[in-house]
Amino acid sequence: MADVTITAPAEAAVEDQPLPSSPAARLSRRGLERLDLMLLSVEALDLNGGEAMVWMASQLGFGSLFPNRVELWKRRCYNPLRLACRRGVLSEAETDALISLLCAMAERLYPMLRQLLSAAEPEPVTQQRWQLFRSRLDELVRERLNPRRGGVQKLLDPQEGPRLQRQLVQGLALGSGRGGFDRLKASLMDAAA
Amino acid sequence: MKLSHRYEQTSCRLRIDGLPDLSAGHGQDVIGILSAWELDLAGHPTLEGKRDHLQALMTAVLPYARHLVSSVPRPMGAATDPVQMEPIPAAKPGIRNRPAHRLRLHSSQPDTQPLELSFDDAELADLVRCLDQLRLDPRVRLGFDLPPDRPLQRREILERVPLRQRLAAPAAGLAALAITTALGLMVPLPRRTAPPAASPEATPTTPLSPPPR
Repeated sequence: MADVTITAPAEAAVEDQPLPSSPAARLSRRGLERLDLMLLSVEALDLNGGEAMVWMASQLGFGSLFPNRVELWKRRCYNPLRLACRRGVLSEAETDALISLLCAMAERLYPMLRQLLSAAEPEPVTQQRWQLFRSRLDELVRERLNPRRGGVQKLLDPQEGPRLQRQLVQGLALGSGRGGFDRLKASLMDAAA
Repeated sequence: MKLSHRYEQTSCRLRIDGLPDLSAGHGQDVIGILSAWELDLAGHPTLEGKRDHLQALMTAVLPYARHLVSSVPRPMGAATDPVQMEPIPAAKPGIRNRPAHRLRLHSSQPDTQPLELSFDDAELADLVRCLDQLRLDPRVRLGFDLPPDRPLQRREILERVPLRQRLAAPAAGLAALAITTALGLMVPLPRRTAPPAASPEATPTTPLSPPPR
């Protein structure tokens, strides 16, 4: 007991830091692209991902924002890389809801994300898992995104694609759960390179 | 009344022991005074220390993870800090799973070599999730002072692009300019022709048609 002298201030609650609410808190086009690509990665990992997202949205209390798959799809179509791309910007409440949804889905799929990233797993098994993930993601990308866009071509490129797909999986693993929300949101709001 | 909380992930287990700080108005089951913590990482020695060490660990690991989400890994923690986190450069090109992150811990005991632990991406994610659970746990109020997650500036993102790739476009532009200039210089100048001789002064000539009368 003698060496324990540090006490917590009563009002110090690190977890309750308010989110910035300025107009700059809206996601850029690049941020919307990455957000939708991460949601697409979730769908590639979970075959029933589309339905699971709607269910998860209602569990998180976003039932009014995303009551069905169509409403969710409409919000995701603000991704400029989409074939059926919508113009305009999403409100901060909508992007926050999408990010929360993404974090919750990543939490649910964390064991799979971990397997993909772990060096302790046998190499052939890891390669097979990546191969399966890549083939599903490529299929979804071809189906829903505009193949004439440079970003989509990069994602499908056999040289460049695997590196980008790994970044998506790594981002999902580190952004999973409630603790990942701020991290993921800050990353999606990065300045354009 | 001693309290103990545990946070577990596949390769990582964090246990914190402490007491409620009743003077600060905390509840009976809230740890407000940390007496000890212990971090078990699979394949590595157990880490333990005081509150400052746990604070240093979180200050190094969480911002490192924040940068990694943006795919811009960068070393965290100064050389004098008790905990540092840094990326391990790849020995050969490729994107295989490998220990890519190094945690360096400086002991407060004199004449002790720093302890280095290597993690792969999955182990790092486990550690980050454990620390997230700790910092978001309403049963723990230790008032950790952590830097807020903020969007990265453009110059920080640019580091992601290798220097060679970043300089490629300006270098190509300069080369194109140099080649064009060289080609331009090789084109012979038009030979200067002799200035035309001064024309003789105009002399009045008789008009071809007789003046009207």
